[in-house]
Amino acid sequence: MAVTIKGYIRENGAVGIRNHVLILPLDDLSNSAAVGVSKLIRGTTVIPHPYGRLQFGRDLDLFFHILAGTGANPNVAGVIIIGIEENWANKVADEIAKTGKPVEVFPIEGYGDLRTIERASRKALEMVQDASEKQRTEVDISSIVMSIKCGESDTTSGLASNPAVGVVVDRMVDQGATVMFGETSELTGAEDIVADKMATPELREKFMKIYKEYVDIIQREGVDLLGSQPTQGNIKGGLSTIEEKALGNIQKLGHRKVNCVLDYLDPLNKSKDGGTLCFVNTSSAGAEAVTLFAAKGSVIHLFTTGQGNVVGHPIIPVIKITANPKTASQMSEHIDVDVSDLLDLKISLEEAGERIYQYMLRVMNGRLTRAEVLQHDEFSPIKLYISA
Amino acid sequence: MPKGLIHSKDDDVCVVTNDVKKGDEVICAYLENPSSYVIIKSEDDIPLGHKIALRDIKKGEKVLKYSRPIGVAISDIRKGEHVHTHNLKSLRWGKWQSQ
Repeated sequence: MAVTIKGYIRENGAVGIRNHVLILPLDDLSNSAAVGVSKLIRGTTVIPHPYGRLQFGRDLDLFFHILAGTGANPNVAGVIIIGIEENWANKVADEIAKTGKPVEVFPIEGYGDLRTIERASRKALEMVQDASEKQRTEVDISSIVMSIKCGESDTTSGLASNPAVGVVVDRMVDQGATVMFGETSELTGAEDIVADKMATPELREKFMKIYKEYVDIIQREGVDLLGSQPTQGNIKGGLSTIEEKALGNIQKLGHRKVNCVLDYLDPLNKSKDGGTLCFVNTSSAGAEAVTLFAAKGSVIHLFTTGQGNVVGHPIIPVIKITANPKTASQMSEHIDVDVSDLLDLKISLEEAGERIYQYMLRVMNGRLTRAEVLQHDEFSPIKLYISA
Repeated sequence: MPKGLIHSKDDDVCVVTNDVKKGDEVICAYLENPSSYVIIKSEDDIPLGHKIALRDIKKGEKVLKYSRPIGVAISDIRKGEHVHTHNLKSLRWGKWQSQ
């Protein structure tokens, strides 16, 4: 029997599970006006960030890709873009407009912050009212695009929470959904296992090229990464080396073939028949990775943690899962799903996976995650190099 | 009695799933077949999630977990000792790691 969820079908047919009206500053200078609008207009979501000036080349392309992708995400009903100047803001707006959703640009030059806030607020007011009439409708779960990543991992991640997420990944791919994973540098020591999961030699080659380029950048610095990768939290939690961390990390990939490899700027093409398991080149930093997954169309994220990462995202729900009993009790306000009984072998791996899956369905149908309620709205575009 | 888990039968280490005190006997079950286990007397205080050596490991030997090398021993490690960054180093990311 086909599994359905209640989602928002957008103008282009993509399915979202949230209904945000986004106030998107194009650059750091526009954060104040964007936040100003969000304070006046209830029901808007603002995503301040520190970038957008004097970027160039591939770094600028990636920045536009992330901003446009976030606006285009099916969890977003409409977008207000505020930029110091109009040109770049229009570029991002044109990309978002391809989805068919409403998007409006408000430049600050020639108006000042106060008049911009007023003009943008009048439009945002209309968008919020229009969005409030959008209804959830029953849709097949195959229309879901989701993502997975772990953070502040410890050995309990590799033993329990990650393999339990792997059960969910297998089930989602088998039902025709799309699952993205990344954390390029954090596959070190297990990159050959990931390469062996690639569905074709071409995908394998593309994956290894991306992986080697990333690790070359790290090695070029010639420093001991101990303390950064693994992190201090990883080490406190018992992970001693990057290899050990990577071998735990990949437990969440499940058992299906990877049939899609995306570099930073590659768009996700949802497969028409069958599920998609997709590697995305990302940093291993939690907020940066989730931000890129959301920009590529993920509408929900499963995040496993050992020592207690608190990350969220402004427009996609991030479900926090732990198998560490200390973290589950000490940081309970951040943990959505506790599978620490799997660590004691009191439940089976299948049962732990089922617990996460059922919770995920509730979140897809509208239940807020703890990160959403706690206002963990991390929006962290990846920056590739210095600005001009 | 404190407990622990071993990913694979080839592994050199067991992950303790409770805080362990020096002198405790730890029952380490194999994840692949939890009814089989080994009992290791701990030589150190070992916090939840950290590793205990299942055998004597010589300096320079690779240490296996998930039946894969997770690094190299940088000093002799006795069975029952805490295995972590003080006696285990990555094999990856450049020669600075192999000191």
